Amino acid sequence: MATAQRVRSSVAAQSQLNFRQRLVKDFVRNRYIYLMLVPVVAYYVVFHYGPMYGALMAFQDFNVTKGIWGSPWIGFENFTTFFNSVYFTRLIRNTLAINIIELFFAFPAPIILALLLNEITSPAFKRTVQTITYLPHFVSLVVVIGMMVDFLARDGLVNNLIGAVGVAPIPFLQRADWYWWLFVGSGIWQGIGWGSIVYLAAITNIDPTLYEAATVDGANRWHQLRHITIPSIMPTIIIFLILRIGSMMSVGYEKTILMYNSMTYETADVINSYVYRKGVLNADYGFSAAVGLFNSVINFGLLLIANRLSKRVSEMGLF
Amino acid sequence: MDKLTRREFLRLSALTAGATVLAACAPQPAPTTAPTALPAATKAAATAAPTTAAATVAPTTAPAAAYPIVKEPLTLTYWVPATPNVMATLKTFGEMTCYKELEKKTGIRLEFQHPPMGQDTEQFNLVVASGKFPDIIERDWTTAPGGPAKYIKDGIILRLNDLIKQHAPNLNKVLADRPEWKRMIATDEGDIYCFPFLRSDPYLQTFAGLTLRGDWLDKLGLKVPTTIDEWRDVLVAFKTKDPNGNGKADEIGFNPWKDNSARGSFNMYAFVGAWGIGMNWFQDKGVVKYGPLQPEFKEFLKVMAQWFKEGLIDPDYITTNLAGLDAKITGNQIGVAMINTGSGIGKYVPLMQPKDPKFKLTAAPYPVLKAGDKPQLGQRDNAYAGQGSAAITTANKRVVETVKLLDYAYGAEGHILFNFGVEGLTYKMENGYPRYTDEITKNPQKLPMNQAMGKHFRSVFNGPFLQDRRYMEQYSALPEQQEAIKTWMQPSNEKQLPPITPTQEESRKFSTIMAEVTTRYDEAFNKILQGQLPIDAWDQFAKDIKQMGIDDAIKIQQAALDRYNKRP
Repeated sequence: MATAQRVRSSVAAQSQLNFRQRLVKDFVRNRYIYLMLVPVVAYYVVFHYGPMYGALMAFQDFNVTKGIWGSPWIGFENFTTFFNSVYFTRLIRNTLAINIIELFFAFPAPIILALLLNEITSPAFKRTVQTITYLPHFVSLVVVIGMMVDFLARDGLVNNLIGAVGVAPIPFLQRADWYWWLFVGSGIWQGIGWGSIVYLAAITNIDPTLYEAATVDGANRWHQLRHITIPSIMPTIIIFLILRIGSMMSVGYEKTILMYNSMTYETADVINSYVYRKGVLNADYGFSAAVGLFNSVINFGLLLIANRLSKRVSEMGLF
Repeated sequence: MDKLTRREFLRLSALTAGATVLAACAPQPAPTTAPTALPAATKAAATAAPTTAAATVAPTTAPAAAYPIVKEPLTLTYWVPATPNVMATLKTFGEMTCYKELEKKTGIRLEFQHPPMGQDTEQFNLVVASGKFPDIIERDWTTAPGGPAKYIKDGIILRLNDLIKQHAPNLNKVLADRPEWKRMIATDEGDIYCFPFLRSDPYLQTFAGLTLRGDWLDKLGLKVPTTIDEWRDVLVAFKTKDPNGNGKADEIGFNPWKDNSARGSFNMYAFVGAWGIGMNWFQDKGVVKYGPLQPEFKEFLKVMAQWFKEGLIDPDYITTNLAGLDAKITGNQIGVAMINTGSGIGKYVPLMQPKDPKFKLTAAPYPVLKAGDKPQLGQRDNAYAGQGSAAITTANKRVVETVKLLDYAYGAEGHILFNFGVEGLTYKMENGYPRYTDEITKNPQKLPMNQAMGKHFRSVFNGPFLQDRRYMEQYSALPEQQEAIKTWMQPSNEKQLPPITPTQEESRKFSTIMAEVTTRYDEAFNKILQGQLPIDAWDQFAKDIKQMGIDDAIKIQQAALDRYNKRP
């Protein structure tokens, strides 16, 4: 605290000097603080900004042995190959559809769970529920999909249950119309508990005097939830929402390639699984880089838009 | 008999685990060249009973080789995909008996690097991209992205022609004796890029085919079907006449699942061969053709869709996996599947017969359309199918020693070592016939045969050596297996392609086109077969892939075949 004040006052005192002089003075005066910053900056430069030159691959017929500086430049050919692919529209449609369904169902799920957990008065019960709900997070994706295949098979658990009430068996994993829902649904099951932790933490940080005051004013649990809890965790929700919108063009390829089959390609194939097949397995790195770059640009744009909107509507934002 | 309970099944399948016994050496229905005349000794062996001592193609050690190769200890790094045959009991290939012996003999230690199972292609791409190559890379170079010629041109692996001529007397002799092998293992330019895995006998090249429940046939008084019509009758009978005798109509005629391929065993000529076409690339007297574009294909698909509609094909074949197939076969539900001699028949028969002495698997010949016709197409690998071939990288500092080391396996001693292991431990010589000992056939630790072999030597999967027919004679010792190999070897397979390779320039274009086509093909094929799309949707599919450039891909393949036929 004291250091921060000193920095601020020194900056104010030096304001009549020119920028370079001020900078040098500031460096000298706060050299240890800048020294502490070095590792962080180095980390970003080395691991995040440095590798960015690799994006140049997107404009090359990249050849591993020739490297970035030796591979032939082919302009936007990788991009046009992608845009002209017969699968382009459906890849975009599936990617967006899954993300939008996730935004509507998977995003609010952990928030609702956190709010519900918050209302539980028995600590033992609360802890049990919490543990059970976040256990699936630690189950490997391969196992989760394996369980889904078993449960959703024609003679699996789900079909036996619905068979008991007279519904003919549905081969869920072979039906294109079920795919999005199974994908998002299993994601919710796996992620709901883990995702709720951060919201629970935000709830714990709420000043208890607010609730006391509300009780005195005659607010019931519902009023407290609506007027204290939700508004208090709103900044957390908004930040996660903006970040979520910033990844609208991505669907994890691991889960997709484990879950899809030729009967469900139509709704299951997403940009990342297509890139996996074409780029990674066929070693077409330039192509994967191009699609990755295209994705990042759109995601970045969406992030900016979401941030701007959020600032305008709720006066909260990432930056 | 009763269905196996889940627990019993798990226990049993753990015993015979090695799910991928032969799968490791049998992934693709690779096309093949017409069989060429075998050396007289091998021909004799081909007809001889397993017990007959038979000289095989095992070459004799040529004079130039001197061991040990090095006086100072030398360690080389060796990248090779792992296989369940070995990994069931060992951590690395370096613990295998054959490599321990090899080190004693040659003085060279090999340090193995194995990618995680199932990530071979990804990890290989990473090794190449990293620029830090091991000394030796073993993989299927024909399927390496870009094709083998690219890796020589890019300076990743070495051209071996001169090195083999000078320092590999054993392999040199093998290739001189069998010029057709030399053609297969070289690129169009005549560059040799690997120490190949060669299935030295046609008997070793066929290992999969349609298999029926023979006891069901007997029970229903049916004979082994040959024509498509007869097949339908058998499948209908299986489905409707309760051959498993549990009073429930839970039998499934045919499950097309095979090795997680999207088009299952159809891809290995199951049924489609009857129409004289393949599912993928094949040739008609030197003209390359793409199966799905042939007019016969629609006829074939129509019949399969009809079978599916009638419930003769397992509706869940798409989501089946190996464990699921095992459960359905051992649970007496499936009547017909395409399985392998070793990992299929060799697994189910010992598993089921103790519980049900009547259990019988009968290999069926590849189907035909008209009675009396000869089957044209069936599964048969080329002598050189690609897998298990070792290349020397440009990072290798001791090239000559490496060549000598790899050459050892092609000499008389090395041949025995890699196929049969060590005398007294894993085999005994009986009248010149290396017979596996109980360590292999009745393993004291109760290992199934494929894992017992995997502990000691490589004949049970693949690797840079000549596979010996006498291995298979003992590995497939059951009468069912012997019969199966004979039955499945019937098709002439003249229409299969030899191992052709596109040029580097064509390769990129070819893989771009085929990546698009394959997705649509898998989709259209299965949806039409399952009745989700009408059969006429096939015409739309044909139009779609024309738009994706299938004609260019056909031209590339044709050019590659022409070049192959002109190879020296």
